[in-house]
This record gives sequence, C-alpha cells and structure tokens, in this order.
Amino acid sequence: MEKTKEGRKGVKGMNYFKKLMSINGKKEIPSDVVPTKAKEIGIDHLTFEALKEIINETFGNTTDLQSDVIRVGNSEGCIYYLETVVNTEMLKEMLGNTLENSADKDIVIATVDDLQELSKKSFGVSGYKLLKTVNHIVSSILEGRIVIVFRGVGQALSLNYINSEGRAVAEPTTQTVVRGPKDSFVEDASTNINLIRKRIKNHHLRFEKFMIGNETRTNVYMGYMYSIANEKIVAEVRSRLNEIDISAVFESANIEELITDKSITVFPLAMNTERPDAVATYLMDSKIVIIIDGSPFVLIVPAVLTDFFTSPEDNYQNYFMSSFVRLIRYISFMIGLIMPSAYVGVLTFHPELLPTTLLLSVIAQREDVPFPAVVEVFIMEITFEILREAGVRMPRAVGQTVSIVGALVIGQAAAEAGIISNIMVIIVAITAIANFVFPNYNFANASRLIRFVLIIVASILGLYGVLLILVFMVAHLSSLRSFGVPYLAPVAPFIVEDQKDVFVRLPIWSISKRPSYLSPNIKNKQKPQGSPSPPKPESGKKQ
Amino acid sequence: MKKIGVFLCILNCLFLLTGCWDRKELAEIKVVAGMAIDKGEDAKYKVTVEALNAMELNTQYASGNAATIVEGIEGNSISEITHLFNEYFAQFLIYSHMKLLVISEEVASAGMLDFIDFLERNREIRDDFNIIIAKDGKAEDILKVSAHYRKASSLKISPQLDHLLEDWGGDPGMSIINFISELTLEGKEPVLAAVRLKGDREKGKSMENIMQVTPDAIVVVDSLAIFKDRKLVGFLSMEDSRNYLWIRNDLKTTSLSVECKKGDYSSVRVTESKTEVTSKWKNNKPDIHVKIKAEGYIEGTQCYKSVDKLGTIEKYEKLVNDTFSQKIKDTISHVQKQYQADIFGFGEVMRRQDYHSFMKVKDNWGEEFSNADVKVDVDFVLRRSGIRSKSFLTETEK
Repeated sequence: MEKTKEGRKGVKGMNYFKKLMSINGKKEIPSDVVPTKAKEIGIDHLTFEALKEIINETFGNTTDLQSDVIRVGNSEGCIYYLETVVNTEMLKEMLGNTLENSADKDIVIATVDDLQELSKKSFGVSGYKLLKTVNHIVSSILEGRIVIVFRGVGQALSLNYINSEGRAVAEPTTQTVVRGPKDSFVEDASTNINLIRKRIKNHHLRFEKFMIGNETRTNVYMGYMYSIANEKIVAEVRSRLNEIDISAVFESANIEELITDKSITVFPLAMNTERPDAVATYLMDSKIVIIIDGSPFVLIVPAVLTDFFTSPEDNYQNYFMSSFVRLIRYISFMIGLIMPSAYVGVLTFHPELLPTTLLLSVIAQREDVPFPAVVEVFIMEITFEILREAGVRMPRAVGQTVSIVGALVIGQAAAEAGIISNIMVIIVAITAIANFVFPNYNFANASRLIRFVLIIVASILGLYGVLLILVFMVAHLSSLRSFGVPYLAPVAPFIVEDQKDVFVRLPIWSISKRPSYLSPNIKNKQKPQGSPSPPKPESGKKQ
Repeated sequence: MKKIGVFLCILNCLFLLTGCWDRKELAEIKVVAGMAIDKGEDAKYKVTVEALNAMELNTQYASGNAATIVEGIEGNSISEITHLFNEYFAQFLIYSHMKLLVISEEVASAGMLDFIDFLERNREIRDDFNIIIAKDGKAEDILKVSAHYRKASSLKISPQLDHLLEDWGGDPGMSIINFISELTLEGKEPVLAAVRLKGDREKGKSMENIMQVTPDAIVVVDSLAIFKDRKLVGFLSMEDSRNYLWIRNDLKTTSLSVECKKGDYSSVRVTESKTEVTSKWKNNKPDIHVKIKAEGYIEGTQCYKSVDKLGTIEKYEKLVNDTFSQKIKDTISHVQKQYQADIFGFGEVMRRQDYHSFMKVKDNWGEEFSNADVKVDVDFVLRRSGIRSKSFLTETEK
C-alpha cells in the first residue's frame, strides 16, 4: 500500500520533467499524413482511371513518380514506381522479358485469379505481393517496389525491384579489434540481418518488423532468440516499440531514447554496436537486438553497467590478457572520472597526501601559474573538450591543422606561457586517454559529464566532496533499471554464479551458464566441462 | 514526503556542515621540513623552522639561491609560535610534511618536554618524523646547515638516520608516539639519537658549503641520548647504541668486527637476529637474561685460515659469541653504574613476566636495575662465507 502511494508520487514528480523535456507529450499530427478515406477503399471499388487519379494526387507532382501504361498480352495495365528508388535496369529487363515479350501473346488478365496465375508463373520466387487497397499501393511505391494495376482486376501486383545501392560491408570504424571478424553493419537493415543470420544458423532466431515514424515510416526490426530470450522482456520491448509515436526516426539513438526506462540519467541504458559478432554474442546471452533501417548502429537491450566494460575482443584473446585488459578498463574509468578533481582536491585541501618530493615539485611548477588550481583545471579541460569536438566535426581535409594546433595549445605553449603547469598537462592527457579506453563511446561520455561536477565540488569541499558525489553516483546507478534488469547486476544484487565473465573472464569452457540476471529460458549454454587433456593411461600400464 | 524531507536534511548536512575552511592554494603555502626547539633568552622557548624554497629544490627551476629559510621566534607556547611565522614569511606554513624535530641538549636536560603535547595533539603534524637531540650547541644550528643531499638539512638528516638504522644500527628509530609511550611507561626510559654539528657553524649557513667535496659544516650522528625521569642525563657511544638496539630486538642488520689473531680482524655481517629477554626477581634483586640468536656471513677477513673447514667456522662463531656477549654486558653495566636508567626496558619485561615482584619495586626501579644480575648469551651462526671460501691470504701464507 505504502509502495503504490509512493510510486504514484514519484510519477507525479516525473511529470514536470516529462513536460519540460516533452518526452511523452503527444502532439497533433498534421491531417495530410493520415490516410484519407479514399485510400482505405479497396481497388475493386475503383475504376482504372480513378485509381490512377488518386495515386497521382497522393504523390502530387513529384517528378520521380512514373506511371506508364503497359500491355501484357491483350490486357492493359499501368505500372507505378518511383524511378529514383527502383532499379530501372532490372525493371526494363523484366518488362521486356517477362511481360511484354511473353510467349503467351493472347494471355488475358481480367480477374484476380488470372493475376495470381501470372504472378506465380512469372514472379514465383521474386517476392511478389498482391495488394488490395490504395493505401497499400502507396506504401509499396514508397518502399521502392513497383506496382502494376490491370484494368478491371481488383488487386494490384507489387514487385520488389528496390535499388539497394549503399555502402558495402566494411571494417568497423568505431569499435575496432586486433583479432576477430572485420565486418561491420551498414545502413541497409536487410544486409545487417543477413550478417547476423550468417553467424546464427538457427530457426529460433526471430525478427519482428515495426514501422516507426509517422512520416518517415522507417523499418525497425527486433531480433531475439525465441528459445533463449525471456519472453517477458521480449514482450516489454515489443510493447515499447509499438507505443512509439513520433514523426521521424533516423538513428538507433532516437529509438534508444524512446524505449529505455524513463530516467533522468547520463548513463546509457542500451548498448549499441556496429559489430555483427557482438550482436550474435549478445543474442546468445538472451539479449534482444533492435535494428534500424538506415543506421549501422544496432541497439542491444537490456544493458547493464558491466556490459560497457566488455569488448567482443575479450572472447578472442587469451583469458588472462582479457581479464587484465578488463581491469585496466575499470581503472581507467576511475582515472577518467576522478583524476582532475583529485588534483584540485589534493592541491587545495590535502597537500599532506602527496610525497614531499612530489609536493615540492608541484609547488615549484605552479609558482608562476596565475590561477587557482580549479581554474587551471577548467581551462585545460574545456580546451580539451573543444579540441575533441573540433576533431570529430572538422572536415577531413583540415584534420592535420587541428591536431597540430591542438598539441601546441594543450602541451607546449600553455605550459611555457605560464598559464598552466606541466603537471596539469599530464593530468589532462591521462584523463583524456583513459576516456578513450572504452569499447563503447557513449559510456565514456557519461564519465565526461560527471567529471566536471566532481571538479566543481572538489574545489569547494576537497576530496570529501569527491567522495560524496561518488556515493551519490553509485546510489543513482543502483536505482537505474534497463528493461527491468537492475543496472548494477550482477554486482548489486551480487550474483556469484555470474561473476565468471564480469571483472575477469574465465576460460570459455568454464562459463557454461548464461547471465542469470537476464532470466533466460535456457540457463545452460552447454554442459559443464573442463579443458581437454591427454587420455589417461590405462590402469596397470605405466607410461 | 517525510522521506524526502529527511533526505534533504541529510543532504544539507553533508554539504553545509563542511566547507572550505582549510582551503589553501599551493601558491600560498610553504612547506616546513624541520623544527628546532631551543631555550629562549626572553621567553621559555625559541622555535626555529626550516621552510623549504620549492623553486630551489627543483632542478628545472633552481637558480642557485638558498634552498631553505631558517628563522626562529621566541615565545612561551610553541603552538602559538607556529602561527606567528608570517612575521617572517609571505606564505602560510604547513607542518604536515615535517621530517625532523631537533631538541637542544639544554632543553632536554632541563626536562622541558611538555611541548610534545602540541606535536601529538595537532591534526596537521604527523607522527613519522625523526626526533633528535642536538649535542653541544643549539638546535637551530642543526637546521642552518646546507646539505649536499636535497640541499635542506632536515631533508638530509631524516633519511640519514633511517638508513643508519637499517644498515648498521645507530639510531633508535624513535617516533613521537613511541617516545611519548616510553616517557610514561614504567620500567623503560626513552632514548633519542643525538647529532652534532661538525665544522664551522657560520660557513655552513651559506650555499657555498655544498660546493665543496668536504663541506665546512656537516651534521653527524654522534651518540645515543639517555633520558631518566624525563630529563636528558647523558650520552652513549655509537657502539653502545648498536648494542642497545640489539638488546631491544630492533636491530635490522649490522657488521661486527672480531679479533681473529692479535692485531688482525675479521668482520661478519649480521643479517638476521632475534633477542629474547627474561627478567625475574631472584635473590632479592632482578635477574636479567638476554638471549640473542643471530645469523650472518663473513664479510672480510685479515686472517689467512681457510673458512671452508668446519673448525674455522665454529671458531669464528665462538669468537663472535664471546666478544659480543661481553660487549653487550659492558654496555648494560655501564648504563647500570653511570646512569641507573633502564633504557633497555628490562623493568617493562619484568612487569609482564613477574608482575607482583615488579610492582613492589617499581617506584625504585632505577636503583634496583643498577643492582641487577645480567647474563648475556649470544648464539651466532655463520651461514655463508661470501663468494669465496679460501682467501688469497691462504695462498700467500703457504
């Protein structure tokens, strides 16, 4: 009773933020997006000419809509397509070979049955569809299919001649590995699904299609292992995807913001990757993937904090090395988070913490620095953030300039001009590099923001303040949920059996269970087993 | 609602009940490396501090000026004086990096050790600095010597004492906590290392002092200062100081010389040693038995006998046992007779081992200690003979 009461209040409190950020604020949808009544009408209620008029009217005067009259045997038909998205070469070939030059010159298509027969005969394997309403015709055309309407026939034939020209599968650009598969996702969703299917040849791998974006009508696919993934989580993801009401979706980040638990947080509640092998690995761990047509970044949910410290390459390296690298990642997370604030805190409040020699060296270096430590840190951190942003956004052609100027500004000139001390350059450099260790870029961004909060608090309260904020951060982290899974699992709540692949990675043969915090349907990956060893000598015989 | 209120209260306390009261920018602080306590002329004490000039201690920025500033102020309360130093200095002094406390012989002899309360009570001052007695002269002079190592006197003396303790054993390694506990302990009198300024006091103040291979003035560890009833009563030689550490089981490593033939000496290095003391009341006086077990190796010999023979090794062991049980006994009886101060803590051992007897005599322990029967057994085992067995001397003697 208490709890529900509290919960309601919590929601009430959230409403303000929701309103502020208009996360859920439903807005009026422009009327012309809603299909008019006419479009709901079945084709069999319309004449050939009326249909043509409706289609032309729907698309307006867009130059790339082609509506040509063709003849198949004795029947007259009209072919509709957008020439910019259809592979016109293939279309010409098809028209020439299959339809107009059809050997059966006196073929008559007058009924739906005739159409079905023709489709089966000529396009049996090429993925044809028979459409019944105007609405279907319009969306088929928009998808890049061609639609053929025959006079007097109550259904329309839709054929797949999409011009699927796009980037070829190439090496990943954001998540590179030394050893491991070198392919990465591209913008085309069906290519991406193909890359996953190549890795998991299992009929339990299911994909569900969603059309998201009232105006963009983007294809979004949800993929999961039917046999392994927990159906409640699958249902939750499905319902959240269904509930999305938004005009446009262009990147998986848009979907991520719309479906992750509505918390005010800087930490990412969904993983993203451009590596098919990572996706396959997570599918096998009973996670769910969301693929968005038009983006090479695939979402993986639910995500827990420890996921962001793992790289697919961890499984491809010696497990001692992987464990070591993982520890390095945790250490560098802490370095990236607290190094500058620790500098401020120690120098202004606790100089007794430094060894005498180091303290003297720092004092000597800072003798000429005109600013307090906190200002010095802010100057350098902001400078670095500017350089970093410039480095990402700049045109490739001027790339050299930024890095050279940046190195000069940050390193040499600032220290020589006496604006900052040499040790500050080291602090900023180590902080920056520590931030690039993460396999997941968006997680590093979270620590970037908290770092600034820590610096401000450290300048007022010293290391006590740093500790205070870290306590709040952990409290916040433990309050987060990703699709019902505690964000700090399997550390808090502590699950002993899941520790084999968290801070260290044990040999792959020893990890026989899937993460239990995801409550998979099948808990065991394989039978528990040891590593192979030579056969034991038969008893009685001595070797 | 109530919960949120409580949360906000806690949050307020966490952030507002603290503040930046101890905030000091690095440019505003000066590090104190050493402190010297002398008797004042007009007031009770004179406190001298050695403040470091960080720029001069950094090779990159040094311009050859003095690396330290040593100034003293007289006053009745040391804690007050420590906050008065802006009479001389531009920056705040911070005492958290203090490495050395020098107490002048004069102050220690007068038993004016009450200032130690401040050092123990102060939150800023640590308990890991070395405490020394300045023998024959003022304590401030010890700080006013430039040093080759790290330029500042305190920065040099502190590791000097630590390394002496580790390599040979001449410094009792006394921290302020131990010193205070020994001052108050029944049946143990405290000791401190004593240093002396060797050379010209005035020339030592200049940086030219360290431009010479043999500096005009240098601080040397001289002896062991003995306290009795909170007053400095005398000094023991360096060898006695080593023997003191050995009896106290505080000896880390040392080197011993024994006379293997008249006029010729062999030296052994002691690497391991363990001392057990038993102290009982027997025949109306304390009966003290010091048992030392030690291990080591031959470091050098002037005698030609080959050490790979069993007999030779045994001979050396016996030689070490006899020589050093006698020497340690001499040290004890010297302290017994001359100072009647139980610096070895035999009374403290007796308090644990023979409580009732000790309680009867504890008020008079110094006297009882001087009458005590002392027996010293050294059991030395020679483990190795260095990387040679036969000496080149063995060859030439043939």
